[in-house]
Amino acid sequence: MSAVRPVRTGEQVATPEPLITIKSAAKVYGNNRGLSPLNLAIHAGERVALVGPSGSGKTTLLRLLAGALVPDEGPNSVSINGKSPANLKPGRELASLVGIVSQRFDLVPHLPVMHNVLAGRLGHWSLARSILSLVWPMERRAAQQALARVGIADKINERPGRLSGGEQQRVAIARMMMQSPLVVLADEPVASLDPARAEEGMALLVGLVHSDLGHANGDGRSSERALIASLHTASLIRRHFTRVVGLRDSRVHFDLPAGELDDAVLDELYDLGDGYGDVEPLAGLAARDG
Amino acid sequence: MERTGIQQSRPTGGQRARFNVLRWSVYAAALLVVIAWAFILLDGNSGFGDLFRERTWQNAGGFIASLAGQGSDGPSPFVQAARWRDTGRLALNTLAMSILAMGIAGAGALVLLMPGARNVSDGTLGGAPSRTGALVYGAVRILYTLTRAIPELVWAMLIVFFLSPGIIPGALALGIHNLGIVGRLTSEVVENLDPAPARALRAAGASSPKVLLYGVFPQALPMFLTFLMYRWEVVIRTTVVVGFLNAGGLGREFRLRMSWFHYEDVALLLVWYLLLVIAVDILSAQLRRRVRWD
Amino acid sequence: MSFRRLQSWLTGPRLLTLGIVCALAWSLSRVDWQQPIAHTGGGAAALKVLLALFPPDLTPEFLSICVVASWHTLAYAVAGMSLAVALGLPLGILASGVLAVSSDGHNPRRWTLMVAVRFLLAAMRSVHELVWALLFVAAVGLSPMAAILAMAIPYAGILGRIYAEQLQVAPPEPIAALRTTGASPLRVLLYGYIPMALPDLLSYTFYRLECGIRAAAIMSFVGIDGIGFQIELSLADLLFRQVWTLLIFLVVLVVAVDWWSSRVRRSMAY
Repeated sequence: MSAVRPVRTGEQVATPEPLITIKSAAKVYGNNRGLSPLNLAIHAGERVALVGPSGSGKTTLLRLLAGALVPDEGPNSVSINGKSPANLKPGRELASLVGIVSQRFDLVPHLPVMHNVLAGRLGHWSLARSILSLVWPMERRAAQQALARVGIADKINERPGRLSGGEQQRVAIARMMMQSPLVVLADEPVASLDPARAEEGMALLVGLVHSDLGHANGDGRSSERALIASLHTASLIRRHFTRVVGLRDSRVHFDLPAGELDDAVLDELYDLGDGYGDVEPLAGLAARDG
Repeated sequence: MERTGIQQSRPTGGQRARFNVLRWSVYAAALLVVIAWAFILLDGNSGFGDLFRERTWQNAGGFIASLAGQGSDGPSPFVQAARWRDTGRLALNTLAMSILAMGIAGAGALVLLMPGARNVSDGTLGGAPSRTGALVYGAVRILYTLTRAIPELVWAMLIVFFLSPGIIPGALALGIHNLGIVGRLTSEVVENLDPAPARALRAAGASSPKVLLYGVFPQALPMFLTFLMYRWEVVIRTTVVVGFLNAGGLGREFRLRMSWFHYEDVALLLVWYLLLVIAVDILSAQLRRRVRWD
Repeated sequence: MSFRRLQSWLTGPRLLTLGIVCALAWSLSRVDWQQPIAHTGGGAAALKVLLALFPPDLTPEFLSICVVASWHTLAYAVAGMSLAVALGLPLGILASGVLAVSSDGHNPRRWTLMVAVRFLLAAMRSVHELVWALLFVAAVGLSPMAAILAMAIPYAGILGRIYAEQLQVAPPEPIAALRTTGASPLRVLLYGYIPMALPDLLSYTFYRLECGIRAAAIMSFVGIDGIGFQIELSLADLLFRQVWTLLIFLVVLVVAVDWWSSRVRRSMAY
């Protein structure tokens, strides 16, 4: 496939310091390779789609970035804005560095939407403030604005269990607005949604890092942010992302501007995933870049 | 030995073993039933033969008639407003005792909810596993077992030893026993919670107490309140029994009237008892419906 | 306007919390705070009782009393539970209404019976077993049989209600299939409802056995031998070391039955 060639996106070439640097980070679970040594640099403003068959290392990569896993080479082989997420204890600092939107959105079922959104601020609040907020919600206006931006202002007093999948995702995105991290990670964020909801959801997710629309506290950091999401749909990737990284057998298989991704490239990635043969040269080629 | 969940869920060879546990348990239960009945009936004084004697049924009929007021002298307590008022006050005391008991059990279970759940103490719900956590978990579980295994009435026997009569000792006895029951049920609810939302809060920077507050409490609370309501229905029936031991309320009066053979007063107390039971059953059903909030 | 705001704020959980707080405050107001909570010397007595645990009375003579008392408690519990099942199962079947429906619609007579049985079950479980026991003792005198009956009545009321609910939730498709073969309601019950609900029925019965042990233990209150009776005797004689031994026996008995019943329930969890 001639389309498969390692290329970096044009927009950010001028930016000197990458926001995220991954230097030969690997993860091995017992006998299973979660991720082979991998190099990747992602700049602020980039929106990177991770594609690949299941087991190709997408989730492992996301968890390394989130600090939930420590790379085998030590925590310092992953760095975001100069810090290693695995070195940070869960808390305010890590929360303002990276945030995760999961496939199942992970809302607290019985907690009203308002508090689920405000939970994005828990890293910033004192314990007393957190307790008080359950009785008398703090930063209510910010939560209302965040919900208005994702288009479900009227659901503020509902319970997540009563919401549709698309609405739940919007709550999760509103929570992410309140958390406002530098890097937003999303693990198959639209996999459980129908195509129309997936399109809307992806647009909102991109809004978290792409424009000022995303941020409740309007701290003007939007151009410093990045989005990394794993997903499978080529059309969504072309429309909403700047760059696409194909993973296969826990290696980088291609690294393209999102615009150059076509279904043929994607088909090839998934088809090759079934075999064990002639992939090494391509993976090597991709890994050299970065 | 509490941490064997993974081994238990392994399916290999389980079918046969499970089948045998069930089968032998049913055999053992049947055998136990036969032995127990044989033991009781072979003892000459079981009273089983009395069931077929006319005398017994005459006595029972006479008792019911005297409950209804036959053969008593003076005006029936049912037509005296003062008697209704006095016994009504006792009924309110009994109700108050049941509410205090639920308050004691509920407050205790709420405080111990977190340390008593394995997935909190071992850090599954966010937070770090610690030796202290494991120790506290074990202590809470032993406390639950002890308080649950000893019936309310035995607790009351012990407590009236130190505390002066009134609704407090009764409420305490009922509260202690129900703490074990409600506490265990609620801990099981917390242990069966989906850990993902709590972990998501952790990732959003929440510390352990905040994760528990936002991720665990709201999920466990509806079931907790439901258990509390169910237990309230049981407790209102038992307050009277605890009251037998000088612990105040309807029970004490019931016992006294019983021993004085004031059967019509006993009937009046039974009416109040049934009114309380029905009222609490209805209230509990209504509240339980409200609690289902998703 | 502000009232409306209050009304919209005061919903669901907040209303419930407020209600609970009010109920507790009212209950506390009914406590007689004039008199001291503890007896004079209550604290010293508590300490004495607590210290008697080290060690409890473990003399062979007393241990043999404990074993006999435990066996009595177990025997009464098993007899009471078996009688409760024998009463509760037929009543539960009648209360479930599964006999009232057949392929050609409702049977109004059986429907009336169902409602009547539901009331009967509610009445049976309204009164605590010890109150039943006191009434029986007053009516026919003290005997083990009276105690067993007193225990069986409320337990049959509870079992009947739960059995009825468990029969009602049987999956409807196999039942409908049986009905189309022209099976009578009784056959549908025997070949459809009962086999499908059997694990649940057994599971709940075993679960209740543990409560039955505690109920049997406190039947001592009307003078039936058992752990509760012995505790009462020892307490009356201020022999706290014996009380502790008996409490240990009671806890072990309850925990053992609980362990057995949870094994059985786990074995049917699939």
